[in-house]
Order: sequence, then C-alpha cells, then structure tokens
Amino acid sequence: MYYKLAFRNVKKSLRDYLLYFLTLTFAVCIFYVFNSVEAQEVMLKISTSEKEILKTLTQMIDYISIFVSFILGFLIVSANHFLIRRRKKELGIYLLLGMKKSRVSRILVIETLFIGVISLAFGLLAGVFLSQWMSIFTAKIFQADMTGYQFVFSVNAFVKTLIYFGLIFVVVILASTFAVSRNKLIDLFSAQSKNEKPAVRHPVFTVILFVLSIACLGVAYQQVLKYGIMDFDYKLLREIILGAVGTFLFFASLSGFFLKLLQKCKGFYYKDLNFFILRQINSRINSAHISISFVCLMLFCTIGILSTGLGMNRAMENSLSAATAFDVEMYTGAGGAMSISDDLTSKGIALSDYAKTTYEYTDYTNPAILGTQVLTTDLYEKLQKEYFMSGREDPVPFIRLSDYNALLGMKDKPALVLKDGQIAFSYSAASQGFRDVVQEKWNQTGKISLLGQEYQVYPQILSESFVSIGADSNLAIIVPDSFLLDSAGKVTGGFSVSGSYLQFNCTGDSKTVQDELEKRVESFYGEDASSVDYFMVTRNVIQASYAGTKAIIAYVGIYIGLVFLLTSAAVLSLQQLSEISDNRQRYLVLRKIGADDRLIDITILRQTAIYFLLPLSLAVIHSIVGLRVANDAIRSLGGVNAAQNILITAALILIVYGAYFLATFMGSRRMIVREGRNE
Amino acid sequence: MSNMLTVTQVEKYYGNKGNLTKALDGVSFSVMEGEFVGIMGASGSGKTTLLNCISTIDKVTSGQIVIGGKDITEMKSRQLSEFRRKKLGFIFQDFNLLDTLTAQENIILPLTISAVNHREALARTLEVAQTLGITDVLLKYPYQMSGGQRQRVAAARAIVSKPSMVLADEPTGALDSKSSRILLESMEKLNVELSATILMVTHDAFAASYCKRILFIKDGQLFNELIRGQQTRRDFYGKIIEIISLLGGDVSHVL
Repeated sequence: MYYKLAFRNVKKSLRDYLLYFLTLTFAVCIFYVFNSVEAQEVMLKISTSEKEILKTLTQMIDYISIFVSFILGFLIVSANHFLIRRRKKELGIYLLLGMKKSRVSRILVIETLFIGVISLAFGLLAGVFLSQWMSIFTAKIFQADMTGYQFVFSVNAFVKTLIYFGLIFVVVILASTFAVSRNKLIDLFSAQSKNEKPAVRHPVFTVILFVLSIACLGVAYQQVLKYGIMDFDYKLLREIILGAVGTFLFFASLSGFFLKLLQKCKGFYYKDLNFFILRQINSRINSAHISISFVCLMLFCTIGILSTGLGMNRAMENSLSAATAFDVEMYTGAGGAMSISDDLTSKGIALSDYAKTTYEYTDYTNPAILGTQVLTTDLYEKLQKEYFMSGREDPVPFIRLSDYNALLGMKDKPALVLKDGQIAFSYSAASQGFRDVVQEKWNQTGKISLLGQEYQVYPQILSESFVSIGADSNLAIIVPDSFLLDSAGKVTGGFSVSGSYLQFNCTGDSKTVQDELEKRVESFYGEDASSVDYFMVTRNVIQASYAGTKAIIAYVGIYIGLVFLLTSAAVLSLQQLSEISDNRQRYLVLRKIGADDRLIDITILRQTAIYFLLPLSLAVIHSIVGLRVANDAIRSLGGVNAAQNILITAALILIVYGAYFLATFMGSRRMIVREGRNE
Repeated sequence: MSNMLTVTQVEKYYGNKGNLTKALDGVSFSVMEGEFVGIMGASGSGKTTLLNCISTIDKVTSGQIVIGGKDITEMKSRQLSEFRRKKLGFIFQDFNLLDTLTAQENIILPLTISAVNHREALARTLEVAQTLGITDVLLKYPYQMSGGQRQRVAAARAIVSKPSMVLADEPTGALDSKSSRILLESMEKLNVELSATILMVTHDAFAASYCKRILFIKDGQLFNELIRGQQTRRDFYGKIIEIISLLGGDVSHVL
C-alpha cells in the first residue's frame, strides 16, 4: 500500500518534482561525462607522455568531483527540503489519520528512491551519449587523430556516479526523515505563512548604496580595461574585490532604487500589476540579494570559465611555436668545458644523422653585473611587486651578437645590427606589460653604464626567443663580440663562460626522430658517470605539456562552469518557487479581486523573468568587460576565435538556464492558478 | 429607484438523474439600488451557491440573473471576468490586504487589474479614501495601521471600482466581535453615504441585523423575508432570532 501511495504521489505531483528531477538528471549527466574522460583514451591516437597527462587529468577530476558532489548534494538536499515544505499539509493529514511517523518517512523514502532511480537512469543515459561527443573534443585538445569510432562506456565512471549519488540520496533520505520527525502536527497544518513586516530601507540610503555600487563597478571596469588581466598581481586582486563588492551593493540597492524611480513614472508603476511585482521583489530582496549576488558572480565565472575552457582547444598554438623555437635544445651548465656536439660525437651520436644544421653557442656572465644592478633597484622592486618577478640577483647572462644573429639566421629572420657602443636587451619570456615597464625606463635614459663604461641601449627590447631552458629565456644582454672576447678570442673583462647551448631542427619525420634522439641520449645517462649533465628539451615534450595544460584548463573549466551554471539556475529556481509558495495567499487575493488567469500569468512570468534575468544581465555585462580583456590575453597567448566559444557558452546557458526558467514558471503558475481554483 | 439585481426562477442542480441535488430550487427576488440586503440560512441551505451564481463564479442550471440591466446567465466566460471586475466588488472573510503594499496600492489594485488609466485610478482612490476617512494612512503599510483602518481600507478596495453591487460572503466569519462591529459599521456607512448596493451572505444574526432587509433561504427555496423599516437594530435582531428558530436546525449556529 505504501508503494502504491508513494507512486501515486510522485505521479500526482510530477510537475512539482520536475525541478528536482531536472537538477538530478543534469547533475548525474555532468558527473558521469567528466569522470569518463579516461575511458575515451581508447578512441585516440596519443603518445605515452600524453597518456600520462590524461592520467593526471583524471586524478584532478577525481578531486574536483568530491567538491562538485558537495555542491550537488547541498543542492539536491535543499530541493528536497523545498518539496517537503510544500507538502507539509499532506504529511499532516497522514499523521492525523493515525499513520506513524516512521510510515510517513517510509513513503517519503520510497518516493525519493523512485525519483532518484529514474533520474539516475536518465542522467546516466544522457551522460553516456554526451561522453561520445566529448571524445571529439578530447581529440581536438590533444590534436590527436581518432582511431575510429568506438562506443565508449566507462564502468569506472558508472560505478563512481552510482556510489556518489547513492551517498547523496542517503543524506537526502536522512534529511527528509528528520524533517518529518521534527515537525509537530500543528506546524504541518499551519504551514501557511502569515503576514510579515516588510523590510523598508530609507530611500536616501538606497540611492547612496546604488550610486556607490555603480562607482565600484565603474572603477573596477576601468581598472581592468586599463591594466588587463595578463599578470596576476595586486591590481587584479583589487579589481576582483571592487567588482564583487559592487555586485553585492548593486543587488542590495537595486530594487529599492528602482522602486523609488518607477514610483515617479506612475503610468508604468500602476500598469498591470507592476507595482505588486516591484513590492514583492523589494520585500524579499533583503534576504534574496546575497544569493542573487552569488548567483551573478557564479554566472560570471561560468561565462568566463566556460568560454575559456572551450577556447582552450585552439589557444596556445602560437605560444607553442614561440616556446619551441627549435625541435631540439640541449643545455649544459658545465662552464663550456666541452662542447656539446663533441661530447655527443664521442658517445657515438652523430648529429648529422638528425639534423642538417646545428648551432652551438655559449653565454657569459660577470659576477659583478647583477640583475638588480642592470635594472636598478627601484625598477627591480616594482617588477617584483607587480609581476612577481623572481630573484634576479644572479649575474646577467651576456650573448654575443654573432651567436644571436646566427640563431636569427636559422629562423630565417633578419640579423640584428648594433651600432658602435650599443647593446641590446632581450626579454623573451616576459609579458608585454613587463616589457613595457622596462622599455619605458630605457626610453628615459637610453644609456647604461657597465663596468665603468657608458653604452647606448638598442631602442627596442628584443623578444625573439631561442631557448625554453636556461637563463636567457628571461633577461639577457646582447653585446658585440668584442665586448666579451679580446682579439685572440679569449674571454675578457671579468667574464666567464656560463652555459652551453645546442639547438637544431630535426630532419625527416621530426616527431619520430626526436623520440629516437631522446632515447639515445637517455640511454647513456647513468651508464657513464663522467658524462656531461645535459638538459634536453624536445618539441614533442613541450607539445605534450602544452596539450596537458590545455586539457586540464579545458576540462576543469567546463566541469566547474557547468556545475556553477546548474547551481545558479537551481538556486534561483528554488528561491522563486519557495517565495511563490510562501506568498501564495497574496496571489490568491489578486485572483479573488478579479485578476484573471492571464494577468496572473503575466505577473508570475515577469517576476520569474526579473529574478532570472537580473543576475544574468549583470553577469553578462561583467563578462563583456572581462572577456574583452581576457580575449586580449588569450590572443597574445595564441590567437583564438572567441566569438564561437561565446556562442557555445551562450547556447549552454540558454539551455540550462532556460530549462530552469520554464520549470520555475510552470511550477509557480501551477501553485497559484491551479491550486487556487480548488480553494 | 430601479432594480439593481433581479433573480428570476433560478435553479441550480448538482449530480445526475439518479441522484439529483437541488441546491437552488426556483429562487426569485430582487434588490433595489442602494439597498443593503442580507441572505441568511443554515449550512447547506444554498445561500453560498446563490451568491456564487450572482457573483458569476458559478453558472445557474436555469433561470435568469439580471444585474444592472445585464443578463449574466447569457454571458461568455471572458465577458464574465470583465463584468466581475467592473461591476462587482468583493469583501472577504479576512480582509486580505496585501502586506507588501501600502494602503493606496491596496485600494488601487482592482482598478489596475481592470486597466484603468493611472490618473483616474489615483483620483478615485483619493476620493474613496476621503469618504472613508483614511487619507492619512494611504502611504502606510497594513502592519502600520490599526485594525479599524485596515478594515476601512478593505472596504475602500471593494468599492473603488464603483461596482454596481458589493458582494460580501460571511464577512465577519473570521473576526472577533469588536472587529466585526467595525466592519459592519463601515459597510453601513458605504450603504448610507455612498448609496452602495450591498448583498451580504451570513449566518450570524448580529451581522444580519445591520441589513435593511433579510432574505431567509432553506433547502434551496426562499423561506421568509424580513424588513427592518423603522425598528431599532436591537428589535430587528430579536426578530431575526425568531425566524431562525422557526427555520430550525440552525439555532446552534447562532447561539
């Protein structure tokens, strides 16, 4: 009998359960898809190092899943709580008829399980299908070919989803049992909320708050547009805090401010039930504005994270080519005791087997010329504070102009010409902002004193990068050969050889050749203790690590973005539904006074729309500013067509948000129009 | 004085052929403009069905109901909801003021619902508020008003749309005796000063004693009619009690 009752209840209140069902299904689906990433490997042709990265990614998703399951668990429990509150009277009747509390709980448990099983089934089904589509995305990120279509089903993710959501259901069941056992019969019956004192804020106070919030947001926008977000520094932190505070103030004051404003436009204020809606929102805003602000910030994050995550499959390609100037780079800090190529030859590795041309050079340091000295302490401190520039109290590396030009030649770039008494600075790995700061300093003086002699500084700071390892990827000084070597070719002026570099592009099938070389070099490590300690980087390795970074940013971003989106929509929806439920009496009065169903519909629609659109609109404005800046950042990282990602993000938001909006509207309408008729 | 409401041979049947319930069985009466009429009867006598039919919420099985010259039994549902908004005012058991709205906004509600121009609506609100002496609380919220003020606001809301007739369904049903008295006095004021036509359904003899005329209904048929005329309210009350004991069965309700 209890089963029958429970099933009938679910069937009867199907639309009440719609929101609950929707949340569960979406949650299960997202959870499965992201936990099944590892299983998609079978479809992809990827290298071993990329497989390792996929493992790391899976591990990360494992950790995030714990965090996500907490958020989802909280959401599901509060959705369930709302349902029980709605049904207090019904539960009260069961108790009044003499049913034991444990029996009532059992009915609820059966209902929860019933809904849980159905939504798990639907969510998993949707998840399995979506994960097929997801593997195309994975392939794109790793720039891997697909080995051909294979139906992917991750037993791992399946079991994990069952366990996690099983636990969540246990919590839900405990919570609902607790809710029933705690309530007294009288409370269950008098669940109708009574008239409450609306919170009224002083209008002047509201206006001040509103102006303040606009000011906060304006400054934050202006700052972020001016300084960008390329560098994580205290400015960015300030912008974030300003933006968040502005958002909170905005929603705290918005309804009061607009209420005052619109009361002046009587034509609008007294049209339809506009003033009712405004008052309704205003009466709730004290408690609602915090969650609305959170929802707004979460949506902003969602938009930002999602479009960044989606953009990752194309970003960083340019910076990849910048980071890997040559196929193979070898470095040793052994002070130039032996040339790398000679050493390799002695070990039986003929470079000519691997490359047409190679180039080897050394850099020089002078213990008397330190980074702080060259940059001046002021500038150094500024850079350290704003760009977290790491210790540059080391000697600055010097590179001979002839070496520099030879490398440029290998890259088919025009040679650098230095006039007499001129030297050049190179910052290859630094950000544009960093470079600008230094450039500005040289623009002022144009001169530098080294070892007691004055030199002209080459007007442009060089950004060409040749190595991704070693010291000069940051700061290096390019000098004429005569600066470092005397006429006999000996190192002069207190300088000594610091490190040796060997660079070349591989011939033939570069990827396989790189792998071969790497294997051979690795093979004599350890074999011969006297051998020079090499640091070797191939384009393959860098590419894999880039793909890994991309994949991690993309998956984690999309995962968290979707969960945030789901959470914001569900929170708004729950809030709106409980508000309508609590204030049903008010809407019923409207009906009795003569508002027909159409007018009630319009009122609910407008109210729901305002609740959903307010946080979304501010989030969109935030995002327009944010993405404009982020775009510049991403573009400098590797040029990406942001429009497409934003469109996909918008579509996702539209689907999830829209589904919740509709469910909320229909739920609210049902509560008032249909149930009102029966009273 | 013309007829505001004419009910002619109204019948309302529930159920099917085998099991027919005659909730209203040939009821005929009329209400003149500016009258304050009460309808009394025991539970299940059909008084609420009658009010529902008059207030266009329910449909009659046969017969005619003419309000202000319009036959509402012939109207379609869209016309009905418009008619209800424009021609009828309602006073409920509990006052049902919306606590989020100021008095002025509460009063103006029926006008905005029927899409009256806001200038006219505001002017009318003020006018009604002046008549009921609540202009000083117009900008206050219900929780800031006294009980009496709240009830007058509710009354103002019922008549602001200048209804042909105000319908009150057990308006004192959920009130203590003091609040009942205040409400009934303000209804009397509406009737006398604004010459509003009021039709009130009640089973409370005390509430009924404020009416000018009382129709008694039993088993779906008109049973008796009582006119106050020049009697004091106390005498009228006595008469009402007499009739109720005649009606039988409902005495326990009254005492």
